[in-house]
Amino acid sequence: MKPYNPAVAARSVRQCISQTSRRMIQQRNPTIRLAPASSRCFSSTPTTQHNPTTSGGTVDPTEVSHFNALASSWWDPHGPSRLLHLMNPLRHSFIAQCRSSSPSSQKLRCLDVGCGGGIFAESAARLPNTLSVTAVDPTPEVLRIAEGHKRRDPVLMQPGKLTYLNTSIEDLPKPASDTEAYDIVTLFEVLEHVNAPGPFLTHLLPHVKPGGWLILSTIARTWTSWVVTNVVAEDVLGIVPKGTHEWGKYVNEEELRGWFGKQEGWGEVRSLGVVYVPGMGWREVDGGERWGNYFFGVRREV
Amino acid sequence: MPIRLSPGTSRLLSSRLPFWVTIRLYRRFASTSVNTPEVYDVVCVGGGPAGLSLLSGLKASSVTSSLKVALIEGQDLLKNRLLKDASLESFSNRCSSLTPASVKNLQEIGAWRHVNTARVQPYQEMQVWDGVTDARISFDWGTARSIGPRNPAQPTTIAYMIENVNTTSMLLSRLEELGGVDMMTGTKVSSIELGTDGEKMDLSSWPILTLSNGKTLAARLVVGADGANSPVRTFAGIEARGFDYNRHGVVASLKLDGPGWGGPEHKIAYQRFLPTGPIAMLPLPGNMATLVWSTTPERAAVLKSLSQADFVAMVNAGFRLSTTDLEYLHTLSSAQVDEFAWREKHTPVNEQAIPMRVVDVQAGTVASFPLRMRHANTYTGERVALVGDAAHTIHPLAGQGLNQGQGDAAALVRTISHAVQTGQDIGSTLALESYNSERYAENNAMLGVCDKLHRLYSVESGPIVGLRSLGLRAVDAMGPLKGFFMSRAAGGS
Repeated sequence: MKPYNPAVAARSVRQCISQTSRRMIQQRNPTIRLAPASSRCFSSTPTTQHNPTTSGGTVDPTEVSHFNALASSWWDPHGPSRLLHLMNPLRHSFIAQCRSSSPSSQKLRCLDVGCGGGIFAESAARLPNTLSVTAVDPTPEVLRIAEGHKRRDPVLMQPGKLTYLNTSIEDLPKPASDTEAYDIVTLFEVLEHVNAPGPFLTHLLPHVKPGGWLILSTIARTWTSWVVTNVVAEDVLGIVPKGTHEWGKYVNEEELRGWFGKQEGWGEVRSLGVVYVPGMGWREVDGGERWGNYFFGVRREV
Repeated sequence: MPIRLSPGTSRLLSSRLPFWVTIRLYRRFASTSVNTPEVYDVVCVGGGPAGLSLLSGLKASSVTSSLKVALIEGQDLLKNRLLKDASLESFSNRCSSLTPASVKNLQEIGAWRHVNTARVQPYQEMQVWDGVTDARISFDWGTARSIGPRNPAQPTTIAYMIENVNTTSMLLSRLEELGGVDMMTGTKVSSIELGTDGEKMDLSSWPILTLSNGKTLAARLVVGADGANSPVRTFAGIEARGFDYNRHGVVASLKLDGPGWGGPEHKIAYQRFLPTGPIAMLPLPGNMATLVWSTTPERAAVLKSLSQADFVAMVNAGFRLSTTDLEYLHTLSSAQVDEFAWREKHTPVNEQAIPMRVVDVQAGTVASFPLRMRHANTYTGERVALVGDAAHTIHPLAGQGLNQGQGDAAALVRTISHAVQTGQDIGSTLALESYNSERYAENNAMLGVCDKLHRLYSVESGPIVGLRSLGLRAVDAMGPLKGFFMSRAAGGS
């Protein structure tokens, strides 16, 4: 889970997708660089053969300082992450909607990718039907915030309840068997900052248990989202830190549907559009997934 | 974020609530604490109607029933319970008017079936008039037409008169039935302070309550249901603004000449606006009624000192004599009986339009309390929420105080329930935001209306007196408008 924060996301992306593999993707899919806004080609280039380093060598120092400023206020309810805090309850209701098609009383194991300061990870760990949450983020500074905040709640300190790992998704060991995989894998507000969503998602897929769900949220790449996120939110209202969004990286819902349609063993798809109304909070909007923020859930077939 | 007092501050609170000794607000830096605090999700301080309703609501819902909760109350609640076979000739002087909305909530949390029904009196009509001009408005669902067809299911009851002890007793019975609340009654809170950032956990944002029984509790959320001088509110550094009306409410349990002009099936509440404040007669079962007379502290003191016969005469005079005659009676220290008998002969009154004559006052029930209007700046802080009188104190003229507290409790249950369902920390300011936004504006509006009404009727002469009478008569003539006011007063929307 990320705030609208390019530094954090860009970092995790860079560490997830190594320099080499990115070059490879660019070579195979030159359109990504040439016309990123008009067509996002999903590549499923396997990157597993490459073992990227997680050293901070690729990190832009200015982005780190930008992030550090945000990190201290991650849990401030009136700070820059306020919109994410407000959105968090909707994530749970969307997950509940997805799971309602195949209800199970078993306690869930969850993996939160790009957990940031732990807004979603903490809340997931508190739910009565959660067995455990593993939350990963490649940035040590963010995880320090997350670990520090976790200590403020005795429930989260129960052994095995909530585990933070300072790792990229690539470095996270793949589950040896289906039982070691997760019932729910979440990726909130990360995809829009990723250079090559296809390879990135490919890394996530093995972590989802058969019958489990991959749940993500992101923003559609439309003229409305450009106006709302880049102009209104950042410039006019100032509710999102300046320079957070790169509209060309946004991913549309139908692109995700298309991509998952081609993946073997992935079936049921759900999506839900949401919009932030100042003074009212986040609201679900029918069809909103075509023009703004949306949730996307896809189930791995049993 | 609440403003906490600086480290080392020690504050002695007013001794209005006897079970509080001191509130010490300081951070302990080293782990000087001998006993580790027991961790609770909700610690409710104060076992009045609002606090008990909150706890019943939490325990009655499957979403929140597994929360670990405690109640801390200075008085022994079990000792003060209403006896099942209590005589119907004797009523507590602390009664409230429960709106249908409050009753509906009590039904939903499963408490209403524990009420002592024989001691609850629904009323179907209200008569309100101006003591100076006699302009009158009557409220009953028959004359209050709604716009559009009348709903046959529309209840005829405006509100229910109930002793506060009946309300708390039914809630206690419900809590016993539900179980799962650590009841610490007859227990005082010695101090509340913030926890420490220890080796294993960081409880520096958690209120730690030290109790008179030696226990220490760490509260994820501490609820201040601890009255107008709320020590929890003080701990949270939340300011409450307001003023004294320089009026006292004189209460008494009275016996009338009969069950009322509408008989036992159609009970009527009466309120006459006098320049010093309203005098209200509210029906109880049988021939009993409860009095709330808002007047100056001096007059309240005299009323309390009168013999039973003189007190009865004063109450009868309060609904019958002109304000000038009444002024004179207030100056006497005794013999109101004779003075009233003589003046009454010269004051033509339509007896059927005012409450039946008082024949007796129940011994020991004449009491008074100061009237205040007070509103906390906010109802929530980090790991703190305020309900009932801790959040707001209102003029009793519309009988809304207890209902506001019930509304607070129901709203806080909804907020906590939503937070639990979405995995939020129920003590975080973010999770509590919706409680504050749901209740603050509504309570503020009600506080404002009652305050303005008080001021409007405090005027004895001049154009305002004419205008307010005109307004009252106009509203009385307009069915739909009256229907709107009535549904608002009933707690609907």
